[in-house]
Amino acid sequence: MALLGGLLGLDGISCVQSMVARPIVAGPLAGLVIGDPVAGMWAGALLELVSLKQLPIGANRHWDTGPAAVAAAVAASTVSPAGTALVVGVGFGALVGWAGSWSIHAMRHLNAQVVASQVGRPMAPYELDFRHLVAMTIDFVRAVLLTLTAVLCVLVVTPHVGGAPQSAVTFSAVALLVAAAAALGVVIGTMARGRVVVIAFGVGVLISTVVTLWLR
Amino acid sequence: MAALNRQLRLRFLLRSLMIQGSWNYRTMQGGGLGFALVPMLRKLYGQDREALNASVGRHAGFFNAHPYLATVAITALARMEEEGATVDQIERFKSALVSPLGSLGDRLVWARWRPLCVFVALVPFLAGAPWWAATCLFLILYNAMQMSMRIWGLRLGWHEGRDVGRALMSSRLRRLPDRLTIPLAIAGGAVLPPLVLAFGGPSGASPIPVIGIALVLAALGYSRPTTARRAVTVGIVAASIILVGLEMTVW
Repeated sequence: MALLGGLLGLDGISCVQSMVARPIVAGPLAGLVIGDPVAGMWAGALLELVSLKQLPIGANRHWDTGPAAVAAAVAASTVSPAGTALVVGVGFGALVGWAGSWSIHAMRHLNAQVVASQVGRPMAPYELDFRHLVAMTIDFVRAVLLTLTAVLCVLVVTPHVGGAPQSAVTFSAVALLVAAAAALGVVIGTMARGRVVVIAFGVGVLISTVVTLWLR
Repeated sequence: MAALNRQLRLRFLLRSLMIQGSWNYRTMQGGGLGFALVPMLRKLYGQDREALNASVGRHAGFFNAHPYLATVAITALARMEEEGATVDQIERFKSALVSPLGSLGDRLVWARWRPLCVFVALVPFLAGAPWWAATCLFLILYNAMQMSMRIWGLRLGWHEGRDVGRALMSSRLRRLPDRLTIPLAIAGGAVLPPLVLAFGGPSGASPIPVIGIALVLAALGYSRPTTARRAVTVGIVAASIILVGLEMTVW
């Protein structure tokens, strides 16, 4: 699981950025590894809505979503009942994502030493290749350690969790819905604004309501 | 101008996938740009070690752009090197490319295409489609655009060379973010009803009032994004801590 987190962390920024590290993919992948991809997908879908607003622009600090989704999926798969598990999973995911953003921040300072300390001076091609690959290795190790720590924390806590009362399950569902709906509005407001956007959003809600109720 | 041979194009593409590998606060993507240009610089300077090392060192200086559109800069710089542009011309060209490549890529990919792909994949999942279908749909849609942009950038940069800025401004890609705004908002709205039914739908009763409440919450998120984002994050973390505490108490 830690190796998976490492690979996902690498995809997040350093290599390819194919979005395998997004919670909507990383969540079910981690769930698949531990045998419950559906729980992983639910945790990933909610974490995706909560984290989608963060844009990896320039020096912006943003959550490390790969290890976060792995932690969320592990928590969501091991806690029961499902409703409570999702809140715990997304909560864990948010904490790990936030911790991940600080680890990326520290890594970027370290990279300045590894790669940018020679700026302006002649550099052999193999030296640049080597320094660049060292920086990528640091990113991989960072994500492995972050995921390992997160999964160990989840595994320490979850065996002691179980048998929540019905009120807690209901509370969980309401908390998730409130968070997801508000996060959706935040995402739309961050990406695009204006009267046309609001009207188009309303049209989307209307069409989807009709189709969803018809399918129901 | 010689054509960019297939082997070199493939090397540029593969190395461009790692352009952010050494991202740092001092030179940002500079190390990655130098890393991506190494095959061309080796080819151009051959055995002239001094010129080769000086060129690699220069290209590893400050640079930043959207990672997918950085391919435009890679091949445009490669062509300028091939045409024998001066150090000053190359440095001014690099500085001039940072802003347009960054803003176009950020607006198109991070602010439009990625959330649109997420919403398009989430709607069927929340409505009951299998998880793998949603995940595959997201990956295929997103990466079709990602790879197209990288390959298009490689061709454009090599073809236009130092005139790439003008070509970029007149390209269709520049108008794409505006064209994706309405589809993005519609897809975002379409997520809300199946989300309500999945989490908050009252069993047996009409879900429309709950969809209305969710719509109000989304409107709050839209109009007060910073407050809502903080409240959502703090709320989820607090709720999970309370629930873990509650369940441990029960246990």
